Amino acid sequence: MAIAEQVHSPELNPDRILLNSTRRHFFRQCGVGVGAMALRALLAADAAQAAASPVVDPGSPLSPRVSSFRPRARQVIFLFMAGAPSQLELFEDKPRLQELSGQKPPQSLLSGRRFAFLKGTETLLGTSRRFRRHGGCGMSLSELLPHHRRIVDDVCWLRGMTTDVFNHGPAKLFMNTGFQAHGRPSMGAWVTYGLGSSSDNLPGFVVLQSGPRGPRGGAALWHSGFLPTSFQGVPFRAKGDPILHLKSPEGISRQRERDFYSTLSELNRSRLGEIGDPEILTRINAYEMAFRMQTSAPEMMDLTGETAATLAAYGAEPGVPSFAANCLQARRLVERGVRFVQLYHTNWDSHGGPGETLAGDFEKVCREVDQASAALVLDLKQRGLLNDTLVVWGGEFGRTPMGEVRQSVGRDHHIDAFTMWLAGGGVKAGVIHGETDELGFGVVDGKVHVHDLHATMLHLLGFDHELLTYRFQGRDYRLTDVHGQVVQAILTETQLALSRPTQFRFGGPPG
Amino acid sequence: MQRTMGSTRFFRIGIPGKLLLRVWVAGAVLAVGGIGSSPAASLPEKVRYNLHIRPILADRCFACHGPDEKKREAELRLDLREGAMRQDDDHAAIVPGVPEKSELLLRILAEDPATVMPPPASRKPRLTADEVALLRKWIEQGAEYEGHWAFLPLQKEELPSVRQLAWARNPIDRFVLSRLEQEGIQPSPEADRPALIRRLWIDLLGLLPSPSQVQRFTSDTSPDACESLVDELLASPHYGERWGRHWLDQARYADSNGYANDGQREMWPWRDWVIQALNEDMPFDRFTVEQIAGDLLPAAGRRQLMATAFHRNTLINQEGGSDREQFRVESVIDRVNTTGAVWLGLTFGCAQCHSHKYDPISQREYYQFLAFFDSTEDVNDTGPTIEVPRGEVFGQSAVGATASTAKLMIMRELPRPRETFVLVRGDFTRPDRAAGPLLPGVPAAFLPQLSFSARVPVESHSAASRLQLAEWLVHPENPLTPRVTMNRIWMRYFGRGLVETDEDFGAQGAPPSHPELLDWLGGELIRRNWSLKQMHRLIVTSATYRQSAHQRHDLRQKDPRNQLLARQERVRFDAETARDAALCASGLLDRTVGGPSVFPPQPEGVYAFTSSGGSGKWRAGTPEDRYRRGLYTFFFRSAPYPLFTTFDAPDFQVTCTHRLRSNTPLQALTMANDAAFVELAQGLALRLTEDVPGAVAETLEQRIDHVWLLCLCRRPTSSERSLLKDYFLRELEACSQDVAAAEKLTSDALRRRVTPAEAAALVSLARLALNTDNFITRE
Repeated sequence: MAIAEQVHSPELNPDRILLNSTRRHFFRQCGVGVGAMALRALLAADAAQAAASPVVDPGSPLSPRVSSFRPRARQVIFLFMAGAPSQLELFEDKPRLQELSGQKPPQSLLSGRRFAFLKGTETLLGTSRRFRRHGGCGMSLSELLPHHRRIVDDVCWLRGMTTDVFNHGPAKLFMNTGFQAHGRPSMGAWVTYGLGSSSDNLPGFVVLQSGPRGPRGGAALWHSGFLPTSFQGVPFRAKGDPILHLKSPEGISRQRERDFYSTLSELNRSRLGEIGDPEILTRINAYEMAFRMQTSAPEMMDLTGETAATLAAYGAEPGVPSFAANCLQARRLVERGVRFVQLYHTNWDSHGGPGETLAGDFEKVCREVDQASAALVLDLKQRGLLNDTLVVWGGEFGRTPMGEVRQSVGRDHHIDAFTMWLAGGGVKAGVIHGETDELGFGVVDGKVHVHDLHATMLHLLGFDHELLTYRFQGRDYRLTDVHGQVVQAILTETQLALSRPTQFRFGGPPG
Repeated sequence: MQRTMGSTRFFRIGIPGKLLLRVWVAGAVLAVGGIGSSPAASLPEKVRYNLHIRPILADRCFACHGPDEKKREAELRLDLREGAMRQDDDHAAIVPGVPEKSELLLRILAEDPATVMPPPASRKPRLTADEVALLRKWIEQGAEYEGHWAFLPLQKEELPSVRQLAWARNPIDRFVLSRLEQEGIQPSPEADRPALIRRLWIDLLGLLPSPSQVQRFTSDTSPDACESLVDELLASPHYGERWGRHWLDQARYADSNGYANDGQREMWPWRDWVIQALNEDMPFDRFTVEQIAGDLLPAAGRRQLMATAFHRNTLINQEGGSDREQFRVESVIDRVNTTGAVWLGLTFGCAQCHSHKYDPISQREYYQFLAFFDSTEDVNDTGPTIEVPRGEVFGQSAVGATASTAKLMIMRELPRPRETFVLVRGDFTRPDRAAGPLLPGVPAAFLPQLSFSARVPVESHSAASRLQLAEWLVHPENPLTPRVTMNRIWMRYFGRGLVETDEDFGAQGAPPSHPELLDWLGGELIRRNWSLKQMHRLIVTSATYRQSAHQRHDLRQKDPRNQLLARQERVRFDAETARDAALCASGLLDRTVGGPSVFPPQPEGVYAFTSSGGSGKWRAGTPEDRYRRGLYTFFFRSAPYPLFTTFDAPDFQVTCTHRLRSNTPLQALTMANDAAFVELAQGLALRLTEDVPGAVAETLEQRIDHVWLLCLCRRPTSSERSLLKDYFLRELEACSQDVAAAEKLTSDALRRRVTPAEAAALVSLARLALNTDNFITRE
């Protein structure tokens, strides 16, 4: 059981009691149960598919749900390296590339490949970074990630990542939704749809942002697409109130505000009784959640209660927005039962232009990210949270083995081979999975496509990615579209037993 | 092993003889009536391809045996009759009249996993007994294919006969009622007058009526009270704002260039052009032609040039080092996809990189369509512009020297057209020159019987092409434009279109719930000379539209999603309407129509979460900016006004034909705490003291009535009244005990009229009203 569930016992939470009692009231006295049941039946329309798809109670869409089979991970922290870090400066030691640096790449490696900005005249680019092998697994890490050496045997290195899309916006959409155009639900939304959330006073899916700007693609990256909007990611701001308009208007005490929300619930309930639209229930719940968030969100964001040692480990400072502070927030969020936390950090886009050099600019972003990424894994491990929490680290694609000449020499977008890492949540630790050719153009072994990553993540969370579907416009959609293979080789248990039949709960505290 | 059906390879090599034998055994079972006999009782007399068969084939077969030649297995395509009938070693997927000899059926029924269709690896579910029975009967009846419904000519249907003729107010109702009667469902009674006036005001104007307007309507006993109100509303200048906003969504209108730099642009004269065109009820065919190709009209005036800004709403990438040609191609592609979605209801974009998987648009045809748009002067830059002073489109003369003038971006053809090629995998660096330059054209399979398409001159690549495309879009023989247009209008009134996938009328889209009604509406639009106002009037005066939105127990079982329209739907307000309605209730709304976009106050740090990284472009708002309608708020693509995003406004990178409607805690926090809404609650409270003056105790009941009337156009129910009253008294008590706190919640104007405690309690009451679910919902 996660610590969060012990500390924040739902039974002792007065808001929760209120929520449960009001919910019972609706179902018993307002005749809404019928509407909700109808909706449930509707969502379960396709019996064959619905067997594994969650049944969502519209009155309490975020109630925890049980997955199809025993999950290894219960929550996810996705550290999204926006702009796409260069694997060749961080994880891939390529002596042959060094040797051939400055020469034209072999034509055989170029044919059929597509690049965003390269003109075709570029030459191979060796790295100026020094690499060494570390840990029992012997992972090669460059000098730019000194803190990663400490987690080298705690994580699973995916060196054979590939994707389909080579522009930032579409590629981020692809990494998040499995599709390069707008309109599909993001993985955070899929996971929250599948599992609900164990937090009753924070959103089930939270997004944090650091770096000079937000990620290209914006809100589409954490959108719920055609899934119910309760599963949409909620961005928390690093400065000021974590959420816009979180504070009540000046002059209204907490007690009076409770009165406001309670009276509002009564009024909405009264309308519900008149007109019978179950959407009103969702509205009532949204307001109750808003009221709880007014205290839980600032409390969550306030790092002053963390020990000096913890703050130092992450490199975070209370009140100062940073990737480090966000990593610490991520731990605090999963402790509180939030299902999916996604961090975006910009800017990794090292084309070689101003602000995007492979020299100083790249070093800077490495410094911003290295220590806290490692600290997060170690902190989760030390607190016993890593078993339950899947940490994912990576960007939307990789960088080319060729140099791209702008004001300085950088690297272009590369979709055929890049590196990500996973930790915790049922993934083997200290394993290197996948290998690229001697120049880093393509994957020669252990290829993991974005769809495979998604399939594997859902698997770890207890779902068959082919069966976690949602019927929309006459089609059963899934995160992996019509693709995806679970990467069995990196799982701590290759075959997860079906520990219990599929069952879904409607409301109530997690069991 | 090859496991696709019907191919030469399959029959000759793929399946060993033993397997083939097993198929025939299965066939024998079928022949003696094994599967397909039991559910036959419920089979339709005449099995229709579009209605019964195509959905099955599209779901299970077309992915591998459909239009996409690259994914096609075994050279078999089942979406065309000739493909399905093709003889191959004496076998054919479908042998009309002979189900026992139709491989399609045999393979579906096969037991062997190596033979059965769909193959287990596809993870597609097997066909049900009912589906098999339908297929069987259809083949027995000759396996007649029909073209895709959306591409067929508008059907001229007789008005259906109905039993409760008295209920029907116009032909729309006949179509709806006939279906309801078939299902044994009664329509809902007419909504009461307060619900009706609020619905009509919100739907037609996006504003709330005043209490006196509500009272006038609710006490109007004349039989055509509703019709008179509708005429009044359609004549309002605010109609063009409300319906213009829907059009701006489709045109991906914004006030900035997009991408990382997101610099400002001046497109507002075009926004005003839209408002004015709708207010004048410009026929939709002209509305189309002027926007797509106004510059090419023989007597193009300034208005026609302004109209072409429609397709200049595309993004411009100002980032240093970006390839102009790349982003020029991006905007041309966006113009193609937008045109496809807005007028034709088709997902053209799929054919950019490969031939469409489900719809008959080949990649080559995609780029032929693109050729219409490929030769304008703009190259990821401002390009040609026209200077438009404020007020010009409304026929007003510029006011003094301070009046704003905008440089509006417009379309203009190059003297010599560009050559258009297929772009391999949609990559602008990979034109397929070997295949030669393409001539502009529309996909052949859309409208096979449309002789007009031949009139696009194939010998000339000239500037005339875009104009001819525009004329083709609204040619009376083109059934897509009227269907798509009427479906979207319907969608705004009922929360959902007759075709639910309003953006996809293709094979993967949903079929219409009321096909005859949709065709009748499309035909009527043309018959009424494309007058949108007449179509609006027709819909909103129908008995169907006027029904109550109350949910019914019987419908929860029979029609939980209200597809049969036995009641109205509750629809949450759009983002702008949430703001505009609160402005109305507070009495603060500035009703000025048109002009440059404005900067109402917004919270600090809105840019922190965007790719423009806090560059602080928001000009501090002038007092005049504060209370304008939402559609005039300056729209930065990278950092939209937060209220809009919270209430599901898109970011307008691409066309948006319908918005999502979410229901989130962030919306609750916005309505409850956003300083702008607190200010409106203060305005509403002030209005209560002005409209109902007097001592607090004596006025309380009346003020409670009044706040409900201002916000919801109705009186509170008794339980609402007691909740409101008790809450007000508790607030009054609390505020009396803490006057300092009370003062913080009130405005100077309010404190000049009543005590701080009373003022604060009234603000609380107003805030409560604005936060009800009912307030932001059209019932």
